[in-house]
Amino acid sequence: MRLLLAEDDLDLVAILKKDLETAGYAVDVADNGIDAEYLGNEAIYDVAVLDLGLPRRNGIEVLNNWRAKGNNLPVVVLTARNAWHERVEGLKVGADDYLGKPFHVEELLARLTALLHRTSQQPGGTLRVCNMVLDEERQNVTTTDGLSHKLTGTEFRLLRYLLLHPGKVLSKSELTDHIYDQDSDKDSNIIEVYIRRLRKLMGNDCIETRRGQGYVFRDH
Amino acid sequence: MRSLQSKLGYGLTLSLIAVFTVLWFLVSLNIQYLAEEYIASRLRHDAEMLLSTIHFDKAGNLGIDESTIDLVYSKPFSGHYYFITSGNQTMSSRSLWDQQLGSVLVKAGDQISNYQDGPDNQLLLVISNGFIKQGYPLSVTVAEDLNPVKRNIRQFQTRFAITAIVMLLLLVVLQALILRHSMKSLSRIHEELQSLQQGEANQLNADAPTELRPLVNEINHLLVVMEQRLRRSRDALGDLAHAVKRPLTIIQQLTDKNRNALPADLNAGLVRQVTEINQLTDRILKRARLAGHGHSSARFSFLHDLPQLIETLDIIYNDKSIANQVDFPEEANCPIDREDMLELLGNLLDNAYKWANKRVNITVAINPELTICIEDDGPGTDPNRFEQLDKRGVRLDETKKGYGFGLSIASDIVREYSGTLLFSTSNTLGGFRVDITLPIEGVFINPKDK
Repeated sequence: MRLLLAEDDLDLVAILKKDLETAGYAVDVADNGIDAEYLGNEAIYDVAVLDLGLPRRNGIEVLNNWRAKGNNLPVVVLTARNAWHERVEGLKVGADDYLGKPFHVEELLARLTALLHRTSQQPGGTLRVCNMVLDEERQNVTTTDGLSHKLTGTEFRLLRYLLLHPGKVLSKSELTDHIYDQDSDKDSNIIEVYIRRLRKLMGNDCIETRRGQGYVFRDH
Repeated sequence: MRSLQSKLGYGLTLSLIAVFTVLWFLVSLNIQYLAEEYIASRLRHDAEMLLSTIHFDKAGNLGIDESTIDLVYSKPFSGHYYFITSGNQTMSSRSLWDQQLGSVLVKAGDQISNYQDGPDNQLLLVISNGFIKQGYPLSVTVAEDLNPVKRNIRQFQTRFAITAIVMLLLLVVLQALILRHSMKSLSRIHEELQSLQQGEANQLNADAPTELRPLVNEINHLLVVMEQRLRRSRDALGDLAHAVKRPLTIIQQLTDKNRNALPADLNAGLVRQVTEINQLTDRILKRARLAGHGHSSARFSFLHDLPQLIETLDIIYNDKSIANQVDFPEEANCPIDREDMLELLGNLLDNAYKWANKRVNITVAINPELTICIEDDGPGTDPNRFEQLDKRGVRLDETKKGYGFGLSIASDIVREYSGTLLFSTSNTLGGFRVDITLPIEGVFINPKDK
């Protein structure tokens, strides 16, 4: 999951970025409103964490501009002001969730997970597709045979993305975009390696290869 | 203070009554004087006419030629009488019959007039003139009954009084109409003040009569100043919150992160302090942000703002899918600042959503105070603790963040609006129930105080 973190407080960014990456997000940071708006329109992000008190262009404006352009990027708003009229305003201009500062990282992660499930219409606390259960907190997967497997960071990111987009053809470059942040070295051949590893865990027919197009995660 | 309209009305009515009464008296007196003067001058002519018919014979006997005398002097008690004396001779008109006029001997050239009671209850104006004819002194007394004239005068007075009263009433009605017409601009300003209070307008219309324009301009100026001041202080408080929350967020993240590296009690202490600083800043900032009574900034609308607030809560508590039932009267526009009301309802509804299993009910009524009831089907609270709930951040359950804290902010807001906040157990849903009562009249215009 590629996440845009729009936050100007570098100390907080340093902490959050690490926590978010540990939780399986590929994080890009924007430290001002103009960059945030530009990056958010890139269509490679699955979710954005947007601070309302951004310099140069405030968060509400950024969000408003995104929505005016038809950009439906799921957004969790962060704000220090904590006033109810601001929450109403923020959600009115199109925020999907709201978190007041200071907050616990666990709460942010829980809200992000819930939001991602909601936007890909996967209700319920755990991702359960094709008799497989992905534990997003522990980052392990329980397969049909009842065995629990620990996943590496990239395996987890890839599997989560696949599980959140079942039945959809996903190209290699799309998968790369959503799994790595902008500073990573992107080699699309790596994807093939990870797909192979996941198939080894869950059996071959879970992930179908469409020649020249990409991969499809079978949702039955 | 009594209203200008009734003050002017009373003043004008009283002065009109005074003017008409004085006028009535003066006219009545003058009419009486003129009538009597007219009668007196006629009597003098009659006296001269009588004198011309009087003659003395050689023996000095008084005689009169009655054929030339007006007939009214012959008809008994006709109201016209004469009486002539010369020495010890007297002669009186036939109309006097057997009565006499009290007369005195008047020196020649003199004239005496007085009133006497005559026959038949008549009131007589009596004039005696002294003459000398053919060398004999004589006095001729003529009298006329004043009653017919007095009757006419009384009739005139009655008619005059009736006319005056009718005129008075007409004038009072007319001036009331004029007053009402000129007060129309005042009542327009009154209506504008009301819509200002309801939050439908931010400014008064400057198209006021000259006398009121300075007042309207001053009110408009104050409204702008107040609005700017509120906005400025709210912005400043927002910035302050932002500035304080920044390091707090970092400290919180650091303590979370180093949970295992730090001794447990140190970590717990840090967390507690951070939470307390956070709640204190929130509460103080929120209290300082309150607009309170009498501001012209945007008012809360149940029709527009409440559904948005509920939608917001639905999103925040998306994992619970709470069903809610909202009842509010159609015209439920309350003269309470939008941000204040959102903060109040937001905190209370947040609390209800946090604890509810499936349902939250909101009931709004105006009767004539604004009452809002929020109920949930959660576990509720021990009735013994209701009293402590709105105290500074009492927490009844440490596992749910900020419980009780929201209630204390709500309590601050309700206090600012001189309302009451009551906690109880919901009869219908079985959970927690909050009743808010806010007086919404008499903010800076009392519509009843016209």
